[in-house]
Amino acid sequence: MSWETVIGLEVHAQLSTNTKLFSSASTKFGSEPNTQVDLVDLGLPGVLPVVNKDAFKKAIRFGLAIEADINQESTFDRKNYFYPDLPKGYQITQMTKPIVEGGSIDIDVDGDKKTINITRAHLEEDAGKSIHDAYPDKSVIDLNRAGTPLLEIVSEPEISSAKEAVSYMKALHQLVTFLDVCDGDMSQGSLRCDANVSIRKVGDAELGTRTEIKNINSFRFIEKAINFEIKRQIKVLESGEKVTQETRLYDSGRDETRPMRSKEFANDYRYFPDPDLLPVVISDDEMEEIRSTFPELPADKSRRYISEFQIDESEAEIISSSRELSNFFEVAVESKNDPKLAANLIVGEIGSLLNKDNIKIDESKLSSDNFNILLQRISDGTISKKIAKTILAEIWETGRNADEIINDQGLVQIQDESLLEEVITKVIESNTKQVEDYKNGKDKLFGFFVGQVMKETQGKANPKAVNDLLKKALNS
Amino acid sequence: MDNKTVETISYLARLKLDKDKKEKITKDLENIIDFVAELQDLNTEDIVPLSNPLEKVAPKREDSVTSKNRKEAFLSNSPESDQDYFMVPKVVE
Repeated sequence: MSWETVIGLEVHAQLSTNTKLFSSASTKFGSEPNTQVDLVDLGLPGVLPVVNKDAFKKAIRFGLAIEADINQESTFDRKNYFYPDLPKGYQITQMTKPIVEGGSIDIDVDGDKKTINITRAHLEEDAGKSIHDAYPDKSVIDLNRAGTPLLEIVSEPEISSAKEAVSYMKALHQLVTFLDVCDGDMSQGSLRCDANVSIRKVGDAELGTRTEIKNINSFRFIEKAINFEIKRQIKVLESGEKVTQETRLYDSGRDETRPMRSKEFANDYRYFPDPDLLPVVISDDEMEEIRSTFPELPADKSRRYISEFQIDESEAEIISSSRELSNFFEVAVESKNDPKLAANLIVGEIGSLLNKDNIKIDESKLSSDNFNILLQRISDGTISKKIAKTILAEIWETGRNADEIINDQGLVQIQDESLLEEVITKVIESNTKQVEDYKNGKDKLFGFFVGQVMKETQGKANPKAVNDLLKKALNS
Repeated sequence: MDNKTVETISYLARLKLDKDKKEKITKDLENIIDFVAELQDLNTEDIVPLSNPLEKVAPKREDSVTSKNRKEAFLSNSPESDQDYFMVPKVVE
């Protein structure tokens, strides 16, 4: 029997606003518990929610990016359920008239392109945080997160493997970070996903019974959780039983999913329009303002880098794929540095340092100013590109000024011809065998002599001068 | 409006009803539903659902933090708290 998998994802993107969706309390992550709480977040009687302009701006920006319909008039509903970290007893969300409807996202799985349609993206508020292990017989609640704006992005059930789900999530991650809609920090829960997974026989028109895996917060876990669930459902079906529609949790420690809520009572959220909130209308002027401040997306950036700065396609793609890297690159270029050199160092040396520490460029000790100095010193011939790598490594550790490092460690490039000739003579005299071989036609040995000169000068010799002088000396 | 429906919605609303109350409420709810059921007879085909009776739109707020930290006041107003958190009976799924 062959089976096919049908997956739909619901992704919650925490919007990178300063304040909450309906109150002016801060949304900053990691603050002391219960210090970023407003009367509205507590759900005290007599207070009224007021919508955050920027939350709408960001939601609309996302909608425009996926070419969706924007509902310039949207409304809020109450989703009713009881849980201690939800003080009001209901979550404010957009059930009937969401801000964003339709649109699509392109994904790429090992070179195969596919378009995933988006059902809707709506604004809603996050709940607080419950902590269950602080006391033996009590749970405790931190309401700092309560009311934080979320954009819930719902895909059509068009994803057909765990790998596709990961690609979709990565495409979404890139998009929301570029749009400055969400910081994309999955470890802090800024972007998390619920996966609806079902299995059916190949060729069946109807969908199988689905299960929902809640709150998966890393690319790796998305793949593992979905793959586990696919295997589990196939096993259930092949043994002649039925899949139960339920909510499951992924346990990364055991690499398995298991049922989460008892289904004694089916969830019944009794949605109804929130009488505290009037319809939110976005004027044509506001739409125009959002359109006019729309950021450049990766594919456009990449094309522009290639045509404007003549940098390699592969380098352009790597730099433009990350918001932080492209900002860093653009600052360097705006400061009149050589774009090719900047791109080369960012993708090469800096890229491998970033990978090694698994951080983003703005989390490193390398500032744009310091990078500018480094680029200028290479361009004006003070240091070689090779020495630049040594300096970068030092900046990476200490964050020290590049000029300081160059002066303190005497890394200024040797351009002085007489000094270089001295070194070259020494190298030639102590490698007579190689000189003979070279003169008998072993051209490849030229690189060996360059290497020896560099070794003698601790890499400080100007490579072009070394080349010229060596050629002269060896061919004489 | 049968007994079971009343039990379900009282559970969802976390209201504990004794037998007498349950009977009374069942009757009350039936009356309410009968009363509003008249609306079912109206033809609403071309009428857009009204999300709010006021003919106004929501004012929007600038995204700047003006709310102050009032943790101590809030915690001291709760039935139970420690220095940092609101405390509630253990809820683990």
